[in-house]
Amino acid sequence: MKNSRILLWVSIIVVAVGVFVAIRYANTGGVQKSATQAPVLGTAKLEQKAPEFSAATNHGYFDLAKSTAPVFLEVFATWCPHCQRETAIIDQLYKKYKGRVDFVAVTGSPVGMDHQSPSSEQDTLNFAQQFGAQYPVAYDGSLEVAKEYLQGGYPTLVVINRGKKVTYITSGETSFAELDGAIKSALKP
Amino acid sequence: MLGRPLTSQVGGNGGKDGYDSGMAAVTLIVRVLVGALFIAAGATKVGHFNDLAAAIAGFRLLPEAAVGPLAVLLPFFELGLGLYLVAGLFTRAAAVIGAVQLTIYAAAIAWAVIRHIPANCGCFGPQDTATADWPHVATDLALAGVCAILAWRAPGLLALDNRMRSAP
Repeated sequence: MKNSRILLWVSIIVVAVGVFVAIRYANTGGVQKSATQAPVLGTAKLEQKAPEFSAATNHGYFDLAKSTAPVFLEVFATWCPHCQRETAIIDQLYKKYKGRVDFVAVTGSPVGMDHQSPSSEQDTLNFAQQFGAQYPVAYDGSLEVAKEYLQGGYPTLVVINRGKKVTYITSGETSFAELDGAIKSALKP
Repeated sequence: MLGRPLTSQVGGNGGKDGYDSGMAAVTLIVRVLVGALFIAAGATKVGHFNDLAAAIAGFRLLPEAAVGPLAVLLPFFELGLGLYLVAGLFTRAAAVIGAVQLTIYAAAIAWAVIRHIPANCGCFGPQDTATADWPHVATDLALAGVCAILAWRAPGLLALDNRMRSAP
C-alpha cells in the first residue's frame, strides 16, 4: 500500500510538472504561432455557385468571371508542409490539363514560410521557386479568397466547372487520382 | 519475482473458478490492446507539435492560448496512459481517464461534423490526414465503452496493481 501511495504521488507530480513544462515550452516558441491559429472558414459550398474572385498571379491576372474553362483553385499557406508536398501533385495536374483548365493557387494565411513573419509577395514567390510550383501562384494579402473558399485547413482544393459551380472542394493533402477524377468530372460537357 | 502467483487477487475472490480466470485473461488482453493503441497514438504525435496544434486549432473549440500547451502535453499524456494500462498500474483510474478522454475526442469530432467543419483528425500524427467524421465519433465512443468495461473488470492478469495489493 505504501508503494502504491508513493507511485500515485509520483504520477500526480509528473503530470503537474508536465503541464507546467508544456505551457512554458509552447509559449517560448516551441509551438509556432501560425499552427495555433484556426484558419478562417469560407462560404463556398459544394454544388453551389462559386464566389467571385480575382488574383494577380505570377503568370498574369486571373478573374473567375472572365474564365471560360473549368478552374482548379488551391488556397494554401507557404508555411504549411501539406501545401509544400501538394505542389508536386498540382504540378502534374497542371502539365496534364494546361490549356483546358485554369489553375490558380492563392495564399490564405497571414503568416509567412518561416512561421513567424507576415506573408508577402516575395514569400509567395520564394515558395513557388523552392517547391517548384509551375502553376500560377498569387499572394492575397487581404485573404479575400480564403474568406470565400478556405474549408478549415490548408491546402483547400476546389474545382469549379464552366457553369461557375463548385463541383469539388476538400482540404488537406489529396492524391493525384482524386483530383484528376474531380477535374475530369468538371470537364464533362 | 514475488514468489506468489499473480492471479491470486484476480476478481476479488482469488480467481478460484475458471470463469474469473478467463475474465482476468480477457481483461489483460483488452488492457494491453487499448494501452498499445494509446502508446501508438502518443508516439506518432511526439515531435510533431506544430501539426498537432494545427489539427487542434482546426476544431475551433479552444482559445489560441490553450492550443500550444495542449499540443505539447497530449502526446506524452497518451503515452503515459498507454504505459499505465499495459503495465496494469492504477488500471481502474487509467481506464476511467481513457474513457473520459475518448468521450471528449468523440464530442469534439461530433461538434466539427455537425458544424460542417472539415477538421483534420490528427489521431495518429501528421501522417493521419483523415478528415474527422461520424465513423471517427463511433470509433472513439466504442473505445470509450471498452475503457469503461476495463475500469469495471480491472486490473486483470499480470497487473502491477495485483502485486501492490498483495505486498505488505
